Amino acid sequence: MSTRRKVAIGFGIYIAVTIAIIAAVGWKGPKAKGYTPQTEFKLHTWVNLGIFSINKAVLYLFIAAILTCATMIYVARRMKQRPNRVQTAVEFVFQGLQNNVVGANMDRRMAAKWFPFIATLALFIFYSNLIGYIPLPTSTETFNVFGLHIPAFSLYAATANLSIPLVLAIVVFVSYTSEGIRAKGPIGYLKGLIPAGVHGPMAGFIFVLEVLSNVMRLISLSVRLFANILAGHLIILFMAGALAVILGVAALGWITLPFGVALFAFEVGLVAALQAFIFATLTAIYLGGAVSHDH
Amino acid sequence: MPVSPHPVLASSGSFLITPSVGLMIWTLLVFVASMLLLRRFAFPAIRDALDRRQKSIEDAIDTADRTRVEADKLLAEYRERLKEARVQAEEIVSRARKTAQEQDHEASEAARERREQLLEQTRRDIEAETRRAIAEIRDEVTNLTILATEKVTRKTLDSDDQRRLVEDAIGELDFSALASEN
Repeated sequence: MSTRRKVAIGFGIYIAVTIAIIAAVGWKGPKAKGYTPQTEFKLHTWVNLGIFSINKAVLYLFIAAILTCATMIYVARRMKQRPNRVQTAVEFVFQGLQNNVVGANMDRRMAAKWFPFIATLALFIFYSNLIGYIPLPTSTETFNVFGLHIPAFSLYAATANLSIPLVLAIVVFVSYTSEGIRAKGPIGYLKGLIPAGVHGPMAGFIFVLEVLSNVMRLISLSVRLFANILAGHLIILFMAGALAVILGVAALGWITLPFGVALFAFEVGLVAALQAFIFATLTAIYLGGAVSHDH
Repeated sequence: MPVSPHPVLASSGSFLITPSVGLMIWTLLVFVASMLLLRRFAFPAIRDALDRRQKSIEDAIDTADRTRVEADKLLAEYRERLKEARVQAEEIVSRARKTAQEQDHEASEAARERREQLLEQTRRDIEAETRRAIAEIRDEVTNLTILATEKVTRKTLDSDDQRRLVEDAIGELDFSALASEN
């Protein structure tokens, strides 16, 4: 069977099932009361420890950290002269981080010092993003199986919560600012914020702008990651049925399902790695820029 | 499967962008712990393995280069030796050829000499034989002459005197023409 034929048959089945569902249950249905998609991302305290209360996000943090450390240490302890596929993949990531992310933005000594930080950031964010696409029974919704209320399987990501990217961004901000002050001294670092060749009253204005832009980095770094992952999860959620529930149109769930699958693949295949890479690269650029003298 | 909504539902989404201090501290702890673990147990091992492999590749390339240079040197040396051997072989062959020619020449020279000796010997034998034959003829002629004379004179000639006379007479005859005719 040719590919064209397979696509035509698949599309035909899709249209036929859509029509059948609309014919069976109609276009209009009861609208769900009180369902809001963002509820999926609400954190409920599971174990009350005051400020250190354990909730879903903490669980995801731990899963991400354990997976990151376990897989990396497992591979690191079994490094072979002739690598298998997994080792090749890890080596590719390691060398990419070492040469293109860290090495490209700072000198050798500084790269050796900051590599563990930046590599951990990239890997930790990547794993956090990735496990966010594995459905786990962590939803506030439950379903009834022989009288047992089992939490519904849902997608959640630690990085889809602002607190986590924000604290990582704060660590990055503190790191590059302290590195810059160490390299140039407090006054030198602040002076270094003004681009070379700017004098007079303009310098003061530019200085204020530069300080503001440095603070904005906190927001841009954290919100970029948070918003990307949150939006990805929300759109998968919408396409996988939330739209049908909110509008009360059962057929819509079937219609949007292929888009949900496609977006899921897109998020897992590209966005998860890309956002981790961007976060790590920007960190390296900020660190390199803080100590460079030509700024 | 019946879905039962949770009793506590937030209708507002503002909690999404409200940072939680507890979660931030958890993040910091987990992140720092991960970084320390990775820095201690993962990154150095991976880096060392990569460095080792790079070094071994460089070594392999160096060794290959060195081996190639050595092989080239050896090859050149063997070529040189082969050339020498060929020159020597040619020299030996030409010398052998020369020796053979010389020996050949000597052999033919010796054969020629031998032949000439033999010829000389033969010639001498012939000459001796001729001389003997002439002497015999002379004797015969003398005897015949004496006999003929006796027949004519009906007188026996005293052998010795007559013979001397006849011989003197015949001696004036030239018998060399007989020898030259042979």
